[in-house]
Amino acid sequence: MASRVVITGIGVVSPIGIGVDTFWTAAMAGQSGISAITSFDPFPMDGYRSKVAGQVRGFSPEQHIGSSLGDRVDRYAQFALAASREALSDSGMQMEKESPHRVGIIVGAGMGGMVMGEREITQLYLHQKPHRVHPNFIPVITLNSASGIVAMATGAKGPNLTISTACSSSAHALGQALQCIRTGQADAVIVVGADASITPLVFAGFCSLRALSSKFNDQPERASRPFDRNRDGFVMGEGAGALIVESLSHAKKRRARVYAELAGYAATSEAYHMVIPREDGEEVATTMKLALNAADISPSEVDYINAHATSTLIGDAVESKAIRALFKNRADKIAISATKSLVGHTLGAAGAIGAIATTLSIHTGQIHPTANYDDPDPGCRLGGISHDPQEKKIRAALLNAFGFGSNNAAVVLKRFRP
Amino acid sequence: MADRAIVDKIIQALAEYLKRDAATITASHHLRDDLGLDSMAVIELLYKIEETFDLQIPDQDLVGLATVGSVASYVEGRLAPAKPAAKKTPKPTTTKSPKKRKAK
Repeated sequence: MASRVVITGIGVVSPIGIGVDTFWTAAMAGQSGISAITSFDPFPMDGYRSKVAGQVRGFSPEQHIGSSLGDRVDRYAQFALAASREALSDSGMQMEKESPHRVGIIVGAGMGGMVMGEREITQLYLHQKPHRVHPNFIPVITLNSASGIVAMATGAKGPNLTISTACSSSAHALGQALQCIRTGQADAVIVVGADASITPLVFAGFCSLRALSSKFNDQPERASRPFDRNRDGFVMGEGAGALIVESLSHAKKRRARVYAELAGYAATSEAYHMVIPREDGEEVATTMKLALNAADISPSEVDYINAHATSTLIGDAVESKAIRALFKNRADKIAISATKSLVGHTLGAAGAIGAIATTLSIHTGQIHPTANYDDPDPGCRLGGISHDPQEKKIRAALLNAFGFGSNNAAVVLKRFRP
Repeated sequence: MADRAIVDKIIQALAEYLKRDAATITASHHLRDDLGLDSMAVIELLYKIEETFDLQIPDQDLVGLATVGSVASYVEGRLAPAKPAAKKTPKPTTTKSPKKRKAK
């Protein structure tokens, strides 16, 4: 039998709050973190089809990181560091008491250091002064700058990895952390998901892809509406989530408080299309089934699904179809919520933030509402989706995450029983 | 029927994209069912058309742009500001807009 792995600490930077307490209070109230993008200084928003996003407000590197480490990295890595610090502190794990090579870091990030990236590229093309490219450009835009900075800040010297699978990055990071501990590479892993690329070029790119909501530019808080009939695309978000994942024996040894058990994981590819999922939902259903098999959990034990549910027309419909296909008659009895209805699609951070919501739901029995689920789309109707908070004792839960490049992840978390 | 010159430009853009003879493409061809464009390919085509005709096509207008002819009629409507585009835009021939078929 595979060794047991548990979640003992969480930290978050999100459009509905910095810090787990603020985040969870806002989430349970169904508060939307989506607001208008006023401008991409120095040019206005006129040319952008979508003008709304889930933006992190009030983040101060000095206040939330509290060291000069943050100066040398981009916004997404600053978020990663702040979330990791909170998660570590929440777990009670003291790095000075740990064997440093037994603590790893796995970060999921989709876009990386785009704030500086876009700025430096623009300056170079505009002024043609290569000698004025910032000396920190390369280390900042390199996609593993977040995992690097978290290691420097914490002293964790175990495996230091970055997984980039677009929107599913940090769900894979969580799954890989499980494997990393089970195969004996580490006793504990700091799992992080982070992205902060609401930047002029990346945002324009998602607009051109026609993936973003553009119907609710005047009512930003209504724009992210997974499973609702009037949804018209996802809303870009930014943020970070961090989870301390460790072997049960390690957690016991240090008498840690356990939130939930990390029970299984599946990673698959649809091998189909860069941005379009297979419409029949078979691959998504297979991914969930494989994750449950890996966790040795039967579909009848699943009480909650934190859905990928980005608020795109096809994505939500495919996921609903897959849930119905796998769970059959029970599909309407499983509580389902879409964290993206609150914070938007935080890309590489989405899996980790969804995992934090799932962990808290298992721990507290409280499930956050799916905001703007006002007019259920018959094409995705499932009995357990609600725009109200739900209360439920959760035995096992699934976290879904699907990414561009035709990749899928599903992670199984369950109630911890000593 | 849309202006022949507009139809021709759109067919030309499609012929280049699909790497096939423009003479084999007609206004009645359905972008998806006849020409095999998936939703992403339709979006790439519209991107090209926006440049050709100096237009910005809002997401909401994608519904109904299903055939070569409907795209041409839409473009013609947009190029004639005296006549509002909404009236010139043909009724959707399908409910499957390109946007409906995307994304993660």
